[in-house]
Amino acid sequence: MCGLAGVARRESRGVATEMLDRMAGALRHRGPDGSGRYADAQVGLAHVRLSIIDVAGGAQPLGNEDGSVLIVYNGEVYNYLELRHELVAAGHRFRTRSDTEVLVHAYEQWGTGMLGRLNGQFAFAIYDRRAGTVLLARDRFGVRPLFYSIAHGDLWFASEAKALFAGGEVEAELDPVGLDQVFTFWAARPPRTVFRGVYSLEPGTFAVWRQGVLRHDRFYELHYPEAREESSDTLPTLGGLLDSSVALRLRSDVPVGGYLSGGLDSSITCALAARGSPFSLRTFSVTFDDPQLDEREFQQLVAHQLQSCHHIQAIGAHDVAAVFPEVVRHAETPLVRTAPAPMYLLARLAREHDIKVVLTGEGSDELFLGYDLFKETALRLFCLRQPQSQVRPRLFDRLYPYLDPRGRRGDFWRRSFLEAGAPDDPLFSHLPRFLLTARIKDFYSSDLRTTLAGGDALEELRASLPRQFASWAPLNRAAYLEMVTLLSPYLLSTQGDRMSLAHGVEARYPFLDHRVFEFAARLPAQSKLRGLREKAVLRRWARDVVPPAVQQRPKQPYRAPDVPAFFTSPAPEYVDELLDQRSVARTGLFEPAAVAGLVRRCRAGTPLGFRESQALVAILSTELWFRQFITNDARGSTPPAPLTDRVAAVG
Amino acid sequence: MDEATILARTRAYVNDTFLYMRPGFALSDQDRLLQRGVIDSMGVMELIAFLHSEFGVVVADEDITESNLGTLADIARYVSTHRSHGNGGRPGTNGAGSNPRG
Repeated sequence: MCGLAGVARRESRGVATEMLDRMAGALRHRGPDGSGRYADAQVGLAHVRLSIIDVAGGAQPLGNEDGSVLIVYNGEVYNYLELRHELVAAGHRFRTRSDTEVLVHAYEQWGTGMLGRLNGQFAFAIYDRRAGTVLLARDRFGVRPLFYSIAHGDLWFASEAKALFAGGEVEAELDPVGLDQVFTFWAARPPRTVFRGVYSLEPGTFAVWRQGVLRHDRFYELHYPEAREESSDTLPTLGGLLDSSVALRLRSDVPVGGYLSGGLDSSITCALAARGSPFSLRTFSVTFDDPQLDEREFQQLVAHQLQSCHHIQAIGAHDVAAVFPEVVRHAETPLVRTAPAPMYLLARLAREHDIKVVLTGEGSDELFLGYDLFKETALRLFCLRQPQSQVRPRLFDRLYPYLDPRGRRGDFWRRSFLEAGAPDDPLFSHLPRFLLTARIKDFYSSDLRTTLAGGDALEELRASLPRQFASWAPLNRAAYLEMVTLLSPYLLSTQGDRMSLAHGVEARYPFLDHRVFEFAARLPAQSKLRGLREKAVLRRWARDVVPPAVQQRPKQPYRAPDVPAFFTSPAPEYVDELLDQRSVARTGLFEPAAVAGLVRRCRAGTPLGFRESQALVAILSTELWFRQFITNDARGSTPPAPLTDRVAAVG
Repeated sequence: MDEATILARTRAYVNDTFLYMRPGFALSDQDRLLQRGVIDSMGVMELIAFLHSEFGVVVADEDITESNLGTLADIARYVSTHRSHGNGGRPGTNGAGSNPRG
């Protein structure tokens, strides 16, 4: 895994190599094994490398035979060997064994038509010197990030926004609408980010820069052609796809490890990896001191069955708070949950054990309807078909037993689900979550409210839905919304790419092989969610793959300690400093008196609900983020290179 | 303790606990707390704990309904009834009214 950065100028006025070095330097954590750059009068490319495939020969920027096509690339194309055979047969000559060079020749052969042929997780920039174009592209599900900005007529792009700012010509400014999206969906929705004028290339799309104009196009759409019935070969087909997906993702010249949460999905990926890996599998798990969050019993069960070399990252009372500023710095966005913090520590642990590549189970819950949200959607629809029923709403008690073991929320709580939206609202499935998250906005300052007046994050989402959305069944609509609002911008980015690459660890996602997605999208809903049993088809298939206790256990949401983590003595100094009323007033995004009220309740040890817990995390992370990025900390002390110092350096 | 006093104390508690971040929020006695986003599921638990400590009323599981706790007026009526009848709630277990707010 790697980091890329670059600039394409509208006019040929040179690109300073020092500037490229600064951009690359901001991404060093993503690629500690090497770096390279290219600059001519119009385009500059920079790259930091994490060597995984063709360790000796994969340096970047990398060109074709005559240097007319150059690439900087972050990611993996798993079917590169198959593509290489095709390209060799078509007459292309290769100098390295790397997947990077396959992309260069694939571009020469097929142009942007190459993108549909790639099976992998990738973001790249290809500079075609003959055509005078720069092609930016990002994988189907948004595993790998790619940000861009157009400043002073020039196109800037990078794996992380901090590299854009390090170049010195893109300003780091708050985008209040992006912030408002974070406080609705947990993350800004691509292409928007929390930085004004900085955009995230949408998953499954590409953009071509030519003569100062950037044109976007899409090469992949999520689609749900749901079948009426499950076909007789469903289980062997699923098994074959997962075997193939894992086998492709074990392609690596360095050892591959596995993240093991103790749930069904990571247990499957680790089990398949252990079968197929030429190396002894190393597994990595997070454990929590808080037994309500902890899954070690199941982790140990799987690790024992796989005879893996198992490593544990224990999360105690102070660990989340201790790394939270670093987590925010890498995430580059305010957060509403602390859950990325343990993932940050887990990646550090993997790296300490010389593991650069891990397989992990993300994507399965979206594909096979694993989250409680899908059950909640089905239940709400079930209840709303007979609104007078007193019995049906009691099923909600079975859905969330972990939220209130004493089960004393009664009618009140059940009604909150039933009143959260009408079934004909396209966002029906997600309204309870979106509306709950949006309660963070109760703490907005009056200035921020004024700035945002007239905007509506939910309405913008409704307006952005694809044409075919309305034709999908309710659970497929829910799955789509989950993919585009949470999986891509939050789970794979904030909590995924940013946390693992903070330590130079590449995460690979077998469930996010597009063939697995397309298989799951064709399954009838009842194959995935049977009654209140999630991931039914996956469980059936996994019977002989994972221990029975794991195969049968219900989904446990991954959660991390939140409010107490920041107020358990000795609390870190930054908490007091950032939540101080004067400090909050200086930032100007939240109402100081309201924040003071929240802090008072936190300090008193009052058990807080989701509403206030998320508000505390949101406010604290926003204050951190604002200081790290907007008030200049992230750009460091290196000033932008003066225009007159820029030189064209071809090489 | 009359119903008006119960209502005033409950309103003060709800303002302090659930509306401190929304000082301009206008909440009438008939507004539905859940629907208007004043109380969420954890808030229900907090409210029940308050009714116990403040008024000595233990809210039985089957009483956790919208009709009993849906609005400030509903809460005042429910508490008043259960304090005077000692029915369902157990006034006096914590000393009815022994922990008044200042």
